[in-house]
Amino acid sequence: MTSDGGLPKWASGPCIMGIDEAGRGPVLGPMVYGCLYCALSFRETLSTLNFADSKTLKEEKREELFESLKANGSIGWAVDVIDPRELSAKMLKKCKINLNEISHDSAIGLVTRVLNMGVLLTEVFVDTVGDADKYSAKLSERFPSIKFVVAKKADSLYPVVSGASIVAKVTRDRALRNWNFDESAENMHRNFGSGYPGDPETKAWLEHHKHSVFGFPTLVRFSWGTCTTYFKDTVEVLWESDSALDENGSANKNGKRQLKLSSLGFTGYKRNSEEIESSGKGRCKFFQARKLEQLTQF
Amino acid sequence: MEGTEFGGGAAKMGSNGTINLSPTLKAADLSGHVHHLPCCVKFTGPSDVSHYFKPRPSGFEIDGLAVEESFFRGRKLQGVTVPLPDGYSGFILGKKSTIKDKAKKTAGRGKARPTSSDSENSWETLAKCGNMTFWNHDSLPSQDDACMRLFHFFAVAKAPQAAVVDHQCILEIRPMVYLVEASE
Repeated sequence: MTSDGGLPKWASGPCIMGIDEAGRGPVLGPMVYGCLYCALSFRETLSTLNFADSKTLKEEKREELFESLKANGSIGWAVDVIDPRELSAKMLKKCKINLNEISHDSAIGLVTRVLNMGVLLTEVFVDTVGDADKYSAKLSERFPSIKFVVAKKADSLYPVVSGASIVAKVTRDRALRNWNFDESAENMHRNFGSGYPGDPETKAWLEHHKHSVFGFPTLVRFSWGTCTTYFKDTVEVLWESDSALDENGSANKNGKRQLKLSSLGFTGYKRNSEEIESSGKGRCKFFQARKLEQLTQF
Repeated sequence: MEGTEFGGGAAKMGSNGTINLSPTLKAADLSGHVHHLPCCVKFTGPSDVSHYFKPRPSGFEIDGLAVEESFFRGRKLQGVTVPLPDGYSGFILGKKSTIKDKAKKTAGRGKARPTSSDSENSWETLAKCGNMTFWNHDSLPSQDDACMRLFHFFAVAKAPQAAVVDHQCILEIRPMVYLVEASE
């Protein structure tokens, strides 16, 4: 999603841009990165438009400001909506990608997109949760022609970032409000609350939508620590990528042998108390490679 | 040693029990619904698979097979549906329910299935399938995956079979995490 229409004239002159995120903390729904850009000469006017940190504004006010900035020909904007499925998947990969990295990639993606549209960005203001200096260095290295100002709470310090925060927040709220579940189970509803783990409405939603085998609908970020508390009484699922956890695990009668197999991601059912799963030792290579084992008992 | 023809009658496994490979009337065709997941789900029993597990085409192919993607417990899975070779069939077996087993089933739902020693080791065909979907976590499916290479065994098994006519092979795929749709 971006502001539509052709490239405005002012975009070929020096421009400033703000980048902010919405929905980083919540346990469900997409995380949205938003940006807002305008001519450097429009900076003064921008500060009179009453953009403030989106968190301090009421929802109706945010919606109103978003509509007004969309209609404003002196302002451009773009968003990157990061799907909760993508967040969970990346954070639960064998080689895990953390949230900061995902965030940085998203911001870099937005800068690239706006530059590719032909907007002459000279100064970009970025809000950050993590280390500002490292992030700034990373961005400067990537885009040497742009001056980056990376700061915590940039959304309340710079109007151009406040504007970006409104773009991001409104987009996230709408995405959540109109969320189409992947799942077709009955009795699902959209009273998510804020999505923050501490919100009683969110807690109630999570409790209601918990599934013993599948965990949660894909709207939920499975990689969030909050989820583990809900998974205590659900079916246990073991992954190869989690095998590090097994190493400290208990109830491991067969010691190393069992461990090796669970790290391969396959722990069979107990056929009897002794034999859990063969290590493949002594078996012909052909069978080992194919994880084939002769059964004397079915 | 009665009825040793593959695909029909009762097949004898060692001297421990029987497997009935002739599908009963209610045995469903689960082609396209048998999924092999790259994880261990510590549960055996019916679940709302089709409501929660929604494979989607990824838009690309590997070795002529369309790659699908899906999500399970937050992990992104990529898989291919592999047709079973000609002359072979997939059987979804269940332990023949005796009165004793039935009582157990209701008492201990979700627990591991009973070990073979404590009830008669007798299996029946609940469903058949003509293909299986093999899923990988994090990596694209490939002919080098252990699961895909399982099929090499058929060619190997054929060789001694030619010599020993009465021999038959049943391949049980054991990293057994199947998502099979519950009938009810």
